[in-house]
Formats: sequence, C-alpha cells, structure tokens
Amino acid sequence: MWYPIADHHDVIPRHTARTSLHGQELVVWRADDGNVNVWENRCLHRGVRLSIGVNDGAELVCRYHAWRYANRSGGCTYIPAHPRDAPARTAACSTFPVAERHGLVWSTLAGGDDASEPPSIEQLGNDAFVLRARPVRAPADVVLGLLEELNWAPFGSDDTADAAVERTRVPGGVAAVASERGVEERIIFFVQPVDSSRCVVRPVRSGEPTDSVAALRHHATILADVVERAERIQSARPAAPTAETPVAIPTAPPRPERLRVRIERKWATAEKIAAFDLVEADGGNLPTFLPGDHIDLHLPNGLIRQYSITNGPGETAHYRIGVKRDPASTGGSAYLHDRAKTGDVLKISAPRNRFALRRNVPSTILIAGGIGITPILAMAQALDRAGLDVAVHSFVSSEGEVAFRDVLDRLGPVVHRYVGLDPDGTAGVLKHVLTSPDPGVQVAACGPPPMLDAIQTIADAAGWDEDAVSFEYFQTGDIDRSSSFTVELARSARTVKVTAGTSVLDAIRAEGLDLDSSCERGACGTCALPVLDGEVDHHDVFLSPAERAAGATILTCVSRAASNRLVLDL
Amino acid sequence: MITLHDYVLSANCYKVRLLLAQLNLKFESVDVDFHPGREHKGAAFRRLNPMGHIPVLVDEDFVIRDAHAILIYLARRYDDGATWYPIDDAHRLGSTAQWMNFADATASTLSAARLVVNLGYDLDLDAARTGGHETLRVLDEHLWFGEREGRAWLVDGDRPTLGDLTVFPDVVLAEEGEIDLLDYPAVRRWLDRVKQWPRFVVMPGVFPFGTG
Repeated sequence: MWYPIADHHDVIPRHTARTSLHGQELVVWRADDGNVNVWENRCLHRGVRLSIGVNDGAELVCRYHAWRYANRSGGCTYIPAHPRDAPARTAACSTFPVAERHGLVWSTLAGGDDASEPPSIEQLGNDAFVLRARPVRAPADVVLGLLEELNWAPFGSDDTADAAVERTRVPGGVAAVASERGVEERIIFFVQPVDSSRCVVRPVRSGEPTDSVAALRHHATILADVVERAERIQSARPAAPTAETPVAIPTAPPRPERLRVRIERKWATAEKIAAFDLVEADGGNLPTFLPGDHIDLHLPNGLIRQYSITNGPGETAHYRIGVKRDPASTGGSAYLHDRAKTGDVLKISAPRNRFALRRNVPSTILIAGGIGITPILAMAQALDRAGLDVAVHSFVSSEGEVAFRDVLDRLGPVVHRYVGLDPDGTAGVLKHVLTSPDPGVQVAACGPPPMLDAIQTIADAAGWDEDAVSFEYFQTGDIDRSSSFTVELARSARTVKVTAGTSVLDAIRAEGLDLDSSCERGACGTCALPVLDGEVDHHDVFLSPAERAAGATILTCVSRAASNRLVLDL
Repeated sequence: MITLHDYVLSANCYKVRLLLAQLNLKFESVDVDFHPGREHKGAAFRRLNPMGHIPVLVDEDFVIRDAHAILIYLARRYDDGATWYPIDDAHRLGSTAQWMNFADATASTLSAARLVVNLGYDLDLDAARTGGHETLRVLDEHLWFGEREGRAWLVDGDRPTLGDLTVFPDVVLAEEGEIDLLDYPAVRRWLDRVKQWPRFVVMPGVFPFGTG
C-alpha cells in the first residue's frame, strides 16, 4: 500500500528529511539530479540515523564515520576507515519505492509487485495544491473517522454559514467536496500512518487559490480542530500496547551476475569514440558503482569487452561508457560502433573494480592516455566532489580525440591537456608531473601499455612508493605462447598438459574444471589462482611488480610457467 | 578585552559564543566547572554573579550576567548595523523580544528534558517533554508559514535576529532530551538555515551544515 510520506516542500536541495511509515523510520532526500530517495533511516555501520548526515547532492554521508551511500541504489561507495578497500558490493541501505504525485512524495513498505505505483487521484487533476500537513498523536483510524464527518466552509465563502460537504473514502484517505453558495472546494485528506499511535494528515486541494497563503491559514485552522479532537479521543482511550507490528524491510536484491541494460543514448563524443548511456532494461536501479569501476559488455556476437564507467558520484540513472574504435577490432568495438543502436538490449556484468581509489590522501594526480580518460573521469569527479585536491593530465593525439569534453570543462582548471606529443615529449611532461614523491599524493593512470611502462619507470626513478602509484591497462601486447609445460591442480588431483598455443585457462577448462574469467587479456584478475610450487612466467598487467616477484599468484589466461611444472591451488 | 565565564555544554553559554562569532569578536573563555563541580554555586563565582548562574561576561570592567542580557549588550555595543537587535524598527524589535521570551519557554521544556537525561537533574521529565512538543508545534507552524510568505527567519526581514539565535540552541539539542523532531520538518529546515550562517560555530551535540 502506497502512502504519501512527505510533500515537495520537504525535499529541498541538500536537506535530509525524516519521517516514519508504520513504525519504519525513513530518511528522505533529493539528489541534485532531482531523484528522491526513501531509505531506512539507519547507517549500516553503527545504526545511527542517516537523517543527521549530509546530503551532498550525489550521496548521503553518515555523520558518524562518513560512510557514503549512492543516490538511487543506496549502495555504500566509500568507507573512510578502509581507504584501500572497496566496500562490499552487497553493502547497501534498504531502499523503498518512491514516486512523486500530486505534489506529494509517496512510498510503500511492500516490496515486489504488490503495488507498482501509487494511486492517481482523478479528482485532483493536474494542479494539486498541497496544504499544510499536520502530525497527529492519534492513530490513522481515529483521524480518518473524524475526517469522514468533517464539515468546513470552502475558502472564499462566508464561513459562518453551513456548507454542504460530501465525503468518500479513497485509498489512503478521504476525498471531500465542500460547497456553499456557488463556492466549491475539493480536498483529499491523505493520512500517513506514522506508527500505531501517530499519523500525519496530508491535505491536497484541487487547484491553487489566488490568495494562497490565506487559503493555507484557513485550512490550517480547520485541521487544527481535527487534530485537537483526535488527540482528545486518543488520550481518553485506555493505553494500548505499544508494540509495533514488525515491518519486513525489503532486503536488497541479490546482485545479479548478468544484468540486462538498454542503450538509452548513443552518440559520438569524439573522433572514433562512441559514447553510450546504458539503463537497466526493466527500469530498475543499476547496481552501485565505485570510481574506477568497469563493466563487462557481453555482445550479441559472443565477444566480451570491458569498459570503464565514466559517471560522477550520484549519477546513478545510467552507466556512461566511451568506446574507441580499434582498427584491428575483431568485432568488439566495431560492433558497438557500427551495429549497436539506441534501444538495443545488452547483457553486462555488475561493476567491478581493481583500481581502488583512496580518499584519505589529500592530493591525487590522475594521468590518462587517449581513451584511458574514461575511468579517470569517474575518479576525478569523485575526488572533486569530496573536496580533495586533484589534477588530471590528459594526453591525446589530437583535439578531435578529446572525449567527454563537457565533463572535462566542468572540472575546469584542474584538467591539463597535452595534444600530439611524441613518446619523448610525453616522457618529458610525465617527469615534470612526477618530480617529487610525496606521501600526501597518490597517482593513478590509465592508458596504453607503453605510456604506463613509461610512468612506472619515471615513478620508480623519482622514488615514488609502489603503493602510491596504480595503473589501469586497457590493452596488452602479444603474448609468447610457444612454451609447453605441466600444471598440477593440487585440490583436484589432476595433472594438465599445457601445449604451445594454448593457455593454462584453456587447458584447465579442457579438463572439465570450471574457472571464472573475464577479460582473458591479463588485465582484470578474475582468473587468478594461487601458486603452490613452480616458477611463473608473468604476462599479465594485473599484478604489481612485488606480487610478480613473489610468484604466489598466476593469471591463468595469459601467464605461463617458467619451470617445467606448476602446482596450482585448484 | 572580553571574558566569558563559560561552560561548553551550556546552551545559554553557546548563545553568547554564537553572537561573539557572528560579530567577529575575540574573547577569552574561562571554563566554569558546572558539572559535576557546581563551581557556579561556589562563593568565588558568586562574587562575580550572586545569582550563581552562567554565563557571565566581563568586557573591560563591565560585568553582565544572564545570556539574553549579555546578547542585548553585545548587539548594542558592537553590532553597528543593529541587525541582531533591531532597535530602529518597533515591530521587528518587539518581535525579536517576543522570540527571545519564547527561548525562555524552550529553556523550561526542551532544555529541562536535556538536563534530566544528560546531567541527571531532578525535574519533571514528562511535563518537560509535553511542554517541549507544544513549543515545537508553535515554532514549526510559524516557520512553515514563513517559508510560504518568503520569511526565512523568526522575525520579518532579510536578516536573522537574536530571536533566531536564542531559540536555536535548545531546539537543535532537543533530541538529547529525547524529544523527537520527527514531527517538525519546517523546524529541521530552519536549523539547516541557521547552520549556514557564515560564521556559524558548533558545540558538542551540534553538527555543522554539510561536511563543514
């Protein structure tokens, strides 16, 4: 059952409103994109009320330990006490359905298909005028009973005479028309059950009268009398047991392995770069993303490609990705450029992250090569919004290759653009940018492998701590697959022969064993396995130099054995 | 040189600190051991204020007690535009005094409940809460209609007055006395507006607006 729980005055920008429905306390807040959120008023962490938190326009930030929750999905996006770890993907506030109608904000505690939308009240038409809501310390049924007998003089009439009032019950309230000597006034009194002993009367009038404040005062006086009578009735009643009916809070839906999305918009954001807005195919919320996240796109031709989410915090209505046409495309970017069109439905993975962005360092240097700007955009916007110092160094081959110019323009002077530099020129800029290592600065870079290699070399030479610099590769070079060797799978008690031209992953799967993989280019880490014995010939770009040297992990899609035999924990 | 005999958890001392900040005045805070030491009832403090109350303000050799009296003194002495205590406008001055008196009603209700809950005072908690809700209803209605009529503050005009400044502390701390503000959405919006004053200062239990 849907009830109005607030009106449009209550959900002003950057405010957190508080209310309750059937004993379930709610926080209600409007994000800067206009979306209204209705959530359980409780931080996942210490249970403190989120309504004392901060609505920053994109996320709601808990006042206690600054856990951040995203607009729409309620997913936790950042836990300051664990800056190196992304929050668990399942950590999300309980969210409730929300709709705005007749100037009111509606919600329901029922999950699923019980009621897919609030009632539309025909009598109100399109020009509903919200009167002042009144909280009442009496249960909804007492107040509804009084409203069903309510007489009042319509605003603008001689209020001493008796008016004729007709009343009917409607879902969640009483609809009434008062008329007197040709003056007619139609009002629906909705009643929000706050808990078993309290409610809020939310009257809405059909049409805004000329002297609106006088009308509001007229009706406030009428309603004050109802409130007084209801509270008198309630206080004369024997004390009722105070136990509330337990409310079943809808739990967050399990995170789907594959999501269906629809291409809402496709456009050319730069030369050879197509941008896509992807929305949930059935109109639901998309899973929460973190800055630096990517999604796997499962194309109808069977290919799987990874693309970074470019969105800023709170931009949760769609995922925006940028796809560069690869001249050597085997059907991935070519398909998306030439065949994919608005309205198409695609399968994607839930967002993943291997590019954790810390927000406990005061300053961040972001470096992007070409289309590598895509995850950098999400990170730059998140840091900027958090009030942290950020600089974006974007390298492009020509002005025409500048993608998502609107976002870059919005970020303003923190963006430095370098056009058409050769590798030496690029290295010169990078040396300048990375001159002085600083414990208060982190570096994150995304771009083609030669550029990232250059950054690694320059950062090492300048003395940057390995932990302070992170990379996102978007393509890898050719891999030498000429070796052959044996892989022992310790827990499965199998021995697998890996021949020239096949990968460890292929060989394991040929043996009938299941192993998840995603990019199959050594970039995402999905197919990683622990190494128990043997020496690894690393070809991935996922592991850090230290992890590679330790040799305790192998990315089975690309890496091979440097010894004759590898023992893996599978 | 201004000296404030002060207690960090006192809403009345907070009023004075709020105005000193708004007027950009430097001052020295002398901590009075109000709880549990009851220093304000001791002989030494009573030489400064025979009533045994905080706050007391000393400006050079002028000694003045009682929060609202201190505020009127500071506003008259240091607020050149007379915005906080608008003596040049009879209606606004009267309304300002009216809301300062309203702050006395919140002190005997909202603040009393907080003293019971936080400091274990022996006062009638039920009466304090019932009375607290009555004052909050009046305040919410006034502020709700203010929003409709283009009035952001308790008194007509573009600028807040000592009316807002004196009512704010007890209301923002009401939930410490377990008086729930759930039913007063217009009050919660006004608290947000006060917190956005340019030189707003906090006290324990009062959060700034935004991540501040």
